[in-house]
Amino acid sequence: MSLLRYVAVRSALIIPTVLVLYTVVFIVMRVLPGDPVRAALGVHYIPPEELEEIRSRLGLDEPLYIQYFEYLAGILRGDLGESLVFEGRSVWSDIIDRFPATLELALAGSLVSIAIGFITGGLAALKGGIVDRLMRVYGIIAYTLFIPWLGLMLQYIFSIRLGLLPSGGRIDPRVGLEEVTGFYLVDSIITGNPHAFVSTLEHLILPSLTLGIVLSGAYTRIVRVHLSEALRSEFSIAYRARGLRESAVFIHALRNSLVPIVTLMGLQFALLLGGAILTETTFSWPGLGSFLVERVMYRDYTAVQGAVVFFAVIVSVVSMVVDVIYAIIDPRIRY
Amino acid sequence: MAAGRSRALIALVAIVIILIIGVAAYLMLAPGREAERVVVIGTTDKITELDPATSYDFFTWEVLSNVMAGLVKYDPETGEIVGDIAETWTVEEGGKKWIFKLRTDAAFPDGTPCTAKDFVRSIKRVMAIKGDPSWLVTEFVENVEAPDDYTVVITLKKPVSFFLSVLATPPYFIVHPDYPENEAAPDATYGGCGPYKIVDFKRDEYIILEPNPNYHGEKPKNDRVIIRFYKNSEALRIALENGEIDVAWRTLNPDDIEALKGKGFNVIEVPGNFIRYIVVKVDQPPLDSKKIRQALAAAIDREEIAEKVFRGTVEPLYSMVPSTLWSHVPVFKEKYGDGNLELAIKLLREAGITEDNKLKVVLWYTPTHYGDTEAALAALIKEQWERTGLIEVELKSAEWGTYVDLLSQGKMMLNLLGWYPDYLDPDNFLTPFLLSTANTWTGTGYANPRVDQLLNEAQIELDKATRERYYRMVQEILADEVPYIPLIQGKLFVVTSEKVVSIQVSPLQFLIYSSIEVSG
Repeated sequence: MSLLRYVAVRSALIIPTVLVLYTVVFIVMRVLPGDPVRAALGVHYIPPEELEEIRSRLGLDEPLYIQYFEYLAGILRGDLGESLVFEGRSVWSDIIDRFPATLELALAGSLVSIAIGFITGGLAALKGGIVDRLMRVYGIIAYTLFIPWLGLMLQYIFSIRLGLLPSGGRIDPRVGLEEVTGFYLVDSIITGNPHAFVSTLEHLILPSLTLGIVLSGAYTRIVRVHLSEALRSEFSIAYRARGLRESAVFIHALRNSLVPIVTLMGLQFALLLGGAILTETTFSWPGLGSFLVERVMYRDYTAVQGAVVFFAVIVSVVSMVVDVIYAIIDPRIRY
Repeated sequence: MAAGRSRALIALVAIVIILIIGVAAYLMLAPGREAERVVVIGTTDKITELDPATSYDFFTWEVLSNVMAGLVKYDPETGEIVGDIAETWTVEEGGKKWIFKLRTDAAFPDGTPCTAKDFVRSIKRVMAIKGDPSWLVTEFVENVEAPDDYTVVITLKKPVSFFLSVLATPPYFIVHPDYPENEAAPDATYGGCGPYKIVDFKRDEYIILEPNPNYHGEKPKNDRVIIRFYKNSEALRIALENGEIDVAWRTLNPDDIEALKGKGFNVIEVPGNFIRYIVVKVDQPPLDSKKIRQALAAAIDREEIAEKVFRGTVEPLYSMVPSTLWSHVPVFKEKYGDGNLELAIKLLREAGITEDNKLKVVLWYTPTHYGDTEAALAALIKEQWERTGLIEVELKSAEWGTYVDLLSQGKMMLNLLGWYPDYLDPDNFLTPFLLSTANTWTGTGYANPRVDQLLNEAQIELDKATRERYYRMVQEILADEVPYIPLIQGKLFVVTSEKVVSIQVSPLQFLIYSSIEVSG
């Protein structure tokens, strides 16, 4: 199979993935008891005839199969519909407003988790003995930590006790950042606003540390296993025999153990977005994860469908890109 | 070796110089807003739609009340309706026709005068868009006209005794001409002719307000209001403790309020009109028996609920009309007292309930919508009813989306609910619950022609004393027939840092941002 054909087949697989997810979420939202109009109104009194009129205006009185296909047609046109709860608000603008926040957090969390994973896993492989055991314990503990609990602990220490860092939000509203891309770190650089940059960085530290620590457990483990294997392998012995310093041997061993680590990075992506949802709630981070949770509560069908389709496309594309990279590195994967 | 060292030294010096330049630039470019009187408010609420034609929730109404104005408003001191954009008004045709004369000095932040035509356009816009709160206009108003720039004539479908209270609500606010004609504008920041203008709004992050230079009323006591949005009460409390906000507004948990009291924060208590109650499904056995319903009402101990569940942050409530509102009669206290087990047992026995044939009921609650205390509230009510030795209570819960659906379908035997008024009048605490054509949303199944007649008459009666008599009679019937069991009346808490010198809350429990004064 040529690389081009492989990419085409792999891309085509995204369509059924998204379709299946859309269908599942469509059915689940309708099976769940609850109605978007009532959920949004809460216990406000509204005359019954007006209630029916609102339902009709939102298309909720249409048969389910019509609602299903109409929305599907919308997806194909790139239109994710309007929110059923916040009238006049398009789902796409909600997603575009919030996704940069989630991605910024996910990338920062990812960086933190990789850094911690390399340090702890590297130390474990290099030092062995008690350090190895301690790092293995760290890996297990980090993996089992509950994000909201860890977040609260970090807020307590760094915000309340030490007063060093803000406890929530993305930026201090007083610094007045002009938004360009929605990625505040990037925007503050583009617009030359050092205060916004510092403020964004301050706000990013605790959430990314929380997410990073929890996700670092898997890296600790995988770096430790593959690095110690490489350090014990024949090529390392050969390097040592030729008189190479241990640090140089380590660098070579690290390079050789990178492939499985990169694999893990790809696999961690979906997990990273999942973890971002909990982190967003703890740190009042206005991202797509907390948006999705809130809209499920409101039974905002179109918003939930739109956000799930969006997540599905993103995760599928990332996974495809990772697969294609492997295919380039190792042509055997294609067959 | 020496060359390597000198390269390292040069690199170190370069890094230090860059750092010094960076810090200096950062300090020099510091925003020059330090001298401003800035107030930062934190809340767990959110802004839904910045459009009075579609928003129908407490917090968005609060923000709109601070950036817009209507013909009339509630006086923050007396709670009476006073003129806002309207200076005077007269009523004709037995309460059907209202003529308002507007002040001539009201204007939007950009200097555009605020005229009768803007009011007419705003109201017709609400009617055309048909958003959730539009019924507050369409239910009452037949037509609205502007014979000249400073006169508004509103013709009602029928006389409405509490029309001025309804007129003070956001659907009647005047919006800026830039609001699109017949289309909802959920992110519009054009505002109205209220005390503030919106200078920046980032959904779910913050909104920044600054005084409207053309405001016709008293000038705000601050230069800037920043509202920051938090996801939960823990985050809000931490933000206050960390000095990120000056005012923690809705909603902190009772435990957080207690803890903050001991840490030097000012806790201001505001009597609230928010009520909590149990909806009783009266049209199905076993609760179709009046004696059984009365027994359930008699066994409730509200003092215990207020103390044990809410740590004194609420008041016991003995009618659906809150004690802060005229015509309130503590009818449930008069008829049953509190935790009256003796009476409850007597009534249950009269209804044929025995130890071998216990009354089995299901009490529903929703775990998060009314705060973390809800499960404890349901558990305590279960305990209070089971103290009779004749009742077995099963607790069931459903999250909010499901809960309101079960509610409107009348699928819950007994359920816990709450109510924020739309307008301050006893009508808004009685009609939606007891008028048989209006209470279908509660699923109670309650209908009494006498109550319907009294409520309908009170609605068109212009004499306040007569209306009060009608509402007292309705409350007597409510206590006798028990389609609802009132439990508590909420108090609101504003927790502020020491920096905040003054703060005021409106009769509708909205924070009045212009009243917030900060020191330093």
